[in-house]
Formats: sequence, C-alpha cells, structure tokens
Amino acid sequence: MIRTVGLEKYFGKLHVLKSIDLHVKPGEVVCVVGPSGSGKSTLLRCINRLEPPSAGEVYVAGEKVPPGGQGLDRVRTEVGMVFQRFNLFPHMTALRNVTIGPVKVRGLSEKDAKNLGQALLAKVGLAEKANAYPSHLSGGQQQRVAIARALAMQPKVMLFDEPTSALDPELVGEVLEVMQQLAREGMTMMVVTHEMSFARNVAHRVIFMDEGRILEEAPPEQFFTAPREERTQLFLRTVKK
Amino acid sequence: MLTLLLDSMPLLLKGALMTLKIAAMVAVIGIILGTLIGLGRTSGMRWLSAILRAFVEVIRGTPLYTQLLLVVFGVPLTLNVQYDEFTAAIITMGVNSSAYVSEIIRAGIQSIDKGQMEAARSLGMNHAKAMLYIILPQAFKRVIPPLLNEVVTLIKDSSLIGALALVELTRTAQLIASKTYQPFPAYVGAALLYLVMTLTLSQFSVWLERRLGVSD
Repeated sequence: MIRTVGLEKYFGKLHVLKSIDLHVKPGEVVCVVGPSGSGKSTLLRCINRLEPPSAGEVYVAGEKVPPGGQGLDRVRTEVGMVFQRFNLFPHMTALRNVTIGPVKVRGLSEKDAKNLGQALLAKVGLAEKANAYPSHLSGGQQQRVAIARALAMQPKVMLFDEPTSALDPELVGEVLEVMQQLAREGMTMMVVTHEMSFARNVAHRVIFMDEGRILEEAPPEQFFTAPREERTQLFLRTVKK
Repeated sequence: MLTLLLDSMPLLLKGALMTLKIAAMVAVIGIILGTLIGLGRTSGMRWLSAILRAFVEVIRGTPLYTQLLLVVFGVPLTLNVQYDEFTAAIITMGVNSSAYVSEIIRAGIQSIDKGQMEAARSLGMNHAKAMLYIILPQAFKRVIPPLLNEVVTLIKDSSLIGALALVELTRTAQLIASKTYQPFPAYVGAALLYLVMTLTLSQFSVWLERRLGVSD
C-alpha cells in the first residue's frame, strides 16, 4: 500500500533520512518508534509530501506520488493524516471540520456530507459534540474529531504522527481506543508513536529508527522480547523506565 | 455661534455623506486589491512577491496627496488623456490603501499556524482552496481591528480629495467658512461629524470582533 524506494531527506546540511526502503502491505498496522530526532515524523511527512523528499520515490497504492499539482492533491485524498497537535480548523464546528474535505475536495453534497460526518463523529464517540467548536473540546476529543476528519475522505491508508504526544495522560486512552478499532476494521495504518503498549498490542510490525535509518523491524512480540540490535535494546530499556 | 453651527448642519451632513461614500468606495477597492496583493506576497512565488513588495514600498514611501495630484493633474496634462477626476481620485486612493491593507492581510496570513495549511493540504485541498476556506477566514478575523483602523484613516484622508476633485465634508466646511466669514463653527461642525463617523466605526469593530469570537 505504501512503498518508499531510496528515500533521502536533508534539512540544509542535516541528513535526516538515509536511504529508506519501506513497504507497508494493505491492512497492515506498522508502528514506527525510535528516539526523538531519529527521522520518524519526517519519514511520515515525506509519504504525502508535506515534506518533499530530497531523493527517492514514494508509491501509494501502486501509484507514484507526483511532486505537485492535481496528481499530488489526489494522492493526498487517499492518505489520511492525523497530527500531533490535532490541527483542527478552529473557525469551524466539529461537524464542519469533518465535512469540509468531502464537500470542497470530493464535491459531495452538503446533505450527504452531513450524514457522513455525523456517522464518523458517532464512530469516534462524539456524536453529541457535532456543533461544538474545537476550543470547547478536550485534547482527546479534538484528536478524535481529527481522526474523523481524515476518515471522511475515505482514505486507503492512515498516517498518525505522534497522535497522543500532546495529550494529557488521562486522555491518551480514548484516542488509542479509536485507533485500535480502526486497526481491527482492517485499515492500513502507519503510526509514529511513543506508546509502546499500543505498538505491542496493535501493530503487526514495529520499525525502529535511529539517526535517519531503519535499524530494525520485526513483529511486536519479537521486537519487544528479543531485539536484535544493541541500539534497539538500549532504546527499549530507556522507554521502559 | 451655535445657531451658525446648526444652520450649517444640513450642508455639512451632505458633505459627510459624500465623505462616507468616498471612504466606502475606497475601502472596497483597498480591501479587495490589498487581499490579492497580500495573497500574492505569501504565495511563495518569488518573482511575484518581489514585484508586489516593490509596489508596496513605492506607494507607502510617497504621500497620498502627492499621488493624488500626480494622477488628477499631472498625468492628464502630460499624456494628453482625459478622465473623470472623481473616479481617478477614488481609484488612486483605493490603490494607495491597498498597499497598507496588503501588509495587514500578509501579517494575518502569516500569523496562522502552519499546521492549518498542512491539515488542509493533507485533505487534498490545493493551495487556493486551503487559502479560501481555511487560512483567509481565520486571518481576516484576526486582522479586523487593524483593518477597521485603516477604514477610519480612509474617512479622515478622504478630505484630501476635497482639496482637488469634489465637495466632501472638509471642503463643505471650507465653503461655509468663506461664505459666512465664521470659520470656527463650520470646522467644529465638520470635526464633530468626523468624530461621529469614526467612533461609530470603532464601536462596530468591537461588536464584530465579539460576534466572530463565538469559536474562541
């Protein structure tokens, strides 16, 4: 579903991604973990070109992601993205946040979009908050609206960029629950996260990144109990504390 | 003196109406053109941005009165073209205002968190749609105070047009003063009417900000 070939990214002289070859199968849930600054978020943002890669190629659903224009816009409709800081549109209600994409990009009628939006808000447990503005929602609620907003485009794959890192600890659970439900439904997901228990319980595969490289990848059971690389062992020891 | 002031009121009010008419027309031109320039300057197209920046610098670096004199008297005489002085003055003032408005809009656009544009683009919106539906509505809301401040300035600056092309509030006061040989009541009357207009506008600004604040 997602494939990257020789992906490279430089920020000025800083080499953030070093020849990343990645393959995410349809229906697969891949968690990307690693120390901060290891390039996890940049990798995710290179997939839908919010960050243009310096070299290499990205394929989504077999189609090469073009550098810009309508082709890129179309690919982006198929790649849902959830951000660390939610990035809800503050001037719109929760419902409008969800329907604006389908209406303005897909050309869905307001009525159909509203039905879709209500259904998605219900799915993330926020049916009664449809008319609330983001500033009146908790962080966990905002992130769930953001997930509904991304789902409204009926994407083939969902990217989560540290979706619970900006949340108060007591609000993390409700967001992870929604994500877990999505995974059960067979959504292809790539999740950059620090939530090791989520990676362990939900992921099909865990990728460990360090200094811009994929250092190790393995099914969660193996990754957490018998990591091969020394750096991985070190990392897992620090996060366990 | 009070009688004189009251007697001149009908004429002054007529002048004030003209002032409002000028300010409204100039504001429409200024805000539309200024928004387009502001969008151009934040478009990321370097050459466009450079041209617009030069335009803004030239307009802001020369006095409005000089610009008006140049367009209303200088250009027709030199190029031997004729146009309606009133229209020319309004357009000149509108273009002048657009330079200031564009800076306000640009600041507004740049004050919006980058994540908003990213979220919009990640939904598949192109740059124009993201600007129209996501960035500009938020930016406009944020710049209402400086934008209405600019309109207040327009109301006052429209007196410059009175000096050359047509009879607005200040010009009316001048005419009354020279007719009655009593400048004081005429100008006090004019000043009072300016104050009524500008104070109304600032009250409107406060109300509008509160009304649009429902999502905060």
